[in-house]
Parts: sequence; C-alpha cells; structure tokens
Amino acid sequence: MAVAVDNDMSIFSLVAGASLPVQLVLLVLIITSLFSWWYIFIKLATIKRAEASADDFENAFWTGGDLNKLFEGLTAGRRKAQGMASIFEAGFKEYARHKQQPRMEISDVMEGSRRAMRAAYNRELDDLDAHLPFLASVGSVSPYIGLFGTVWGIMNAFRGLSNVAQATLSQVAPGIAEALVATAIGLFAAIPAVIAYNRFASSVDRLSVRYESFMEEFTNILQRKS
Amino acid sequence: MIRKYEKEISWKAGAYAIGVHLALLVALLISFNWKAAHPVLNIAEVELWDSLPTVVQKPMPAPVVEPQVKPAPIIDETPKPAPVVEEKPVEPKVDIALEKKKKELEQKKLDEQVKKDKALEQKKQLDALKAEVSKDKPVKNNTADALKNLQQEALADDKSEGDKQAVSAKASANAGVVGDAINKIQAKIRGNVNKALCREDNPELRFDIALLPTGQLSGSPKLVKSSGSAACDEAVERAIMASDPLPLPADSSLFSQFRNLKLKFRPND
Repeated sequence: MAVAVDNDMSIFSLVAGASLPVQLVLLVLIITSLFSWWYIFIKLATIKRAEASADDFENAFWTGGDLNKLFEGLTAGRRKAQGMASIFEAGFKEYARHKQQPRMEISDVMEGSRRAMRAAYNRELDDLDAHLPFLASVGSVSPYIGLFGTVWGIMNAFRGLSNVAQATLSQVAPGIAEALVATAIGLFAAIPAVIAYNRFASSVDRLSVRYESFMEEFTNILQRKS
Repeated sequence: MIRKYEKEISWKAGAYAIGVHLALLVALLISFNWKAAHPVLNIAEVELWDSLPTVVQKPMPAPVVEPQVKPAPIIDETPKPAPVVEEKPVEPKVDIALEKKKKELEQKKLDEQVKKDKALEQKKQLDALKAEVSKDKPVKNNTADALKNLQQEALADDKSEGDKQAVSAKASANAGVVGDAINKIQAKIRGNVNKALCREDNPELRFDIALLPTGQLSGSPKLVKSSGSAACDEAVERAIMASDPLPLPADSSLFSQFRNLKLKFRPND
C-alpha cells in the first residue's frame, strides 16, 4: 500500500490542486491585496508629500514675508497649490476680493474668507482621506474571505475522506494545506491594510489639525491686517 | 479610483505593489516548498497469538529425518537371521511332502529316506550354522569393520530413537498447530457473532465447513448440531460467512485436516 508518495508540495501544486471556489477566493484575495498595496504606496507618497509641502509652506509663511508676495508666488506656479498652500490661497483670494469692494463690514470679509478656507480645507481632507475606506474594508473583510475559502477547502477534504475505509492523516493533509493557503493570503492582504489604515488615519488627523490651526491663525492675521 | 494628483505616483506605486507580491511569492516558495520524503509505507500485518506456536520446533528435526532412513536397513539385517531360523520348521513340511511322495513310490525306503533327510537337515543346519559362523567371523576378525558396524548400529539406534522422537514431536507439533489454527478460526468467528442472539448457558454448536486451501469457504457451512435456538444458529452461521477467509496454518501440508472442518463452537466462551 503506497499511500503518501506524491506529497511534494509547492505553493503552485497547492493552488492548482485546490477546488474551484477556493481558487476563486484566492484570485479575489490576490487582486484585493494588489490593490491595497497599490493604494498603500500611493498614500505613502501623497501623505509624505502633503506633510513636506505643509512644512515648506509653514516655513515660508512664518518667516514674516509679505503675504501678497507669497500669494503671487503660489499663483504664479503652473501647478495648482495643494494642502496648506491651497487653503491659504483660497482664504487670501477671498479676502482680497472682499477688500476691493467698498463698504464691506470686516466681519463679513472675515466670514467670507473663513468659508473659502473651510471649503478648501474640506477638499484637501477629502484628498487625504482618499482610499482609506478601501484599506479599512480590506483589513476587516479579507480574513473572512480567506476563512471562507479555508472552510470550503476543509469541507472538501473531509468529504473526500468519507469514501475511504481507512482514514489516514496523509489523505486529509494536502486538502487542509490547500485550504489554509486561502487564509494565509487573506491575512497577507489584511495585515498590511490594517497597519496602513491606522497609520494613514493618524497622519491625516495630524495634518487636518495642522490645517485647522493654520486656518485659525491665518484668520487672526487677516483680521489684524484689515 | 485614483485622484488626479495621484496619477504621477500611480505607476511607481503599482510597480512597488507588484514587487511586494513577488517578494511574498519567493518567500513562500523558499520556505513553503516542503519536500515530503516519505518512505513508501509498508503496512505489515501482524497476527497476535495467545500462546507460542509449536511450529517453530518442527523445522529443526525435519532435516535429520531423511538421512535416518538409510541406516534403517542396517538394523533390518540383524533381525534377518531370526526369520532364517524360523524357516527351518517350514522345511520339514516340504520334507513331509517329499516323504509322502516317497511313500507312494517306495515305502520300504522310508526309514532310509528319513535318515537321509535328517542327515540332509543336519547338513543344512550345519551349513546354516557355518554360514552364520562365517558371517560372524569376518565381523569378529576385522575389528575395524566391527567397530564401524558397532558404531553404525549405535548410531542407527540413536537415530532411530531420535527419529521416533522427531516423528512424535512433529506429530505433537502438528497437533499443536492444528489446535492453534482451530482456536484462531474460532476466535475470528467469535468476533463476528452477535452474542445477544445466543443464550447465556453457552450451548455448543457443530458446523461442517468445507474450506478451500486459501481459507475461503466452499459452499455454505452445514449445521450439524444446533444450539437449540434458530436465531443463535443463524447468528453463528452469519459469523462464519463474515469470517471468510478463515485463518489457516501456513503449512499447506496440514490443509488436509481443514478441508472438511468439523468445527465445535461455543459462542459465549
């Protein structure tokens, strides 16, 4: 009785030997994992860039230069201003526009520029928050998808066992190993997504706090100027 | 899917993501590629014996048995002189027949004939004695031959005794093997009997079972003595059918004792 002769398992033979639902689960998980890693790298780059540009802008802003020069420098650039610069741009543009109109109440001018900055802030936050919900759902759902594949695979493994009179471990082991690949890949997709989500969420929070405090301070500066 | 400002980074990020997955794949291939070097499983069947089988002793005396056959004629030679002596009383009968013929022919010459016959007898006896003496003499003369003969005789005696012992040992061993085999057959059947169907006072059943040399049943077992309850009889018969093939001793020469096996069986032993 030669029972377990061909037990050479590689990851390829495991995936090839799995049943169709398990293979589908694996495919879905690999695609989600690819997308989540793609978004992770995109977000890493964009958040890093937003933090760097916020640092640069704060440096430029607090050195005490002329606000008009700063605004011209920002609008002269071909690229649309981002982050803190775009908030400053929106607020200062609105302030300047209101300033040009005669007989405007200061409080109205301040309200107008505040609203413009709030709108720019919301747009910026929306950009910062982009893809984070996707990462959150990948982190919470893909273990379950992997678990589904595993349960299905183990069900198949044991159903195959019922036809055999003498049950040995070597008859179940390949099926269970195949099935567990699904859980492994689900976890592989979920763990980085969760870590990245938490890290990006905290980075976005910190950035939004910086943006808000800049808004308050800039409003004060504008109020003093007028 | 992607914001406008993310486009410039998207290709790079995509390349990184694919790189991460390739790295995962390589790691899995290296760490996960287990080569199962199982030796092919040889499943050995083991029979459990209650008592040590006596078969093991049998092969030892078996080679001794054959050479013993040759010295045996030597033993036969020594008793032969006895029949020679016994023949002598037969000869007178022939003589009597001759006498009758001679009486018919010449009644007068009876006495003379008798005397002659007696003389002949005496001569024959003398010849026989001489022959015996001559047979004995060379034995006695050639001391070496005599020693050899003595040794041979001694050996023959020993061997014949050994032979007898071996034969008896073989017989007893065979009996032991047969008994063991029957015990094993009974044990196997007993394992298949639904004992709930048989009464508790342990009735004895007898079955005639015809067996093939492989141990398989040929035909169905025949009930010779019933236990008294038909359910029990049927249960035991089913058990015998379920025990097919029955365990036979490895020695195929003993199969003759199993061809028509009369099996006594107590279900509740």
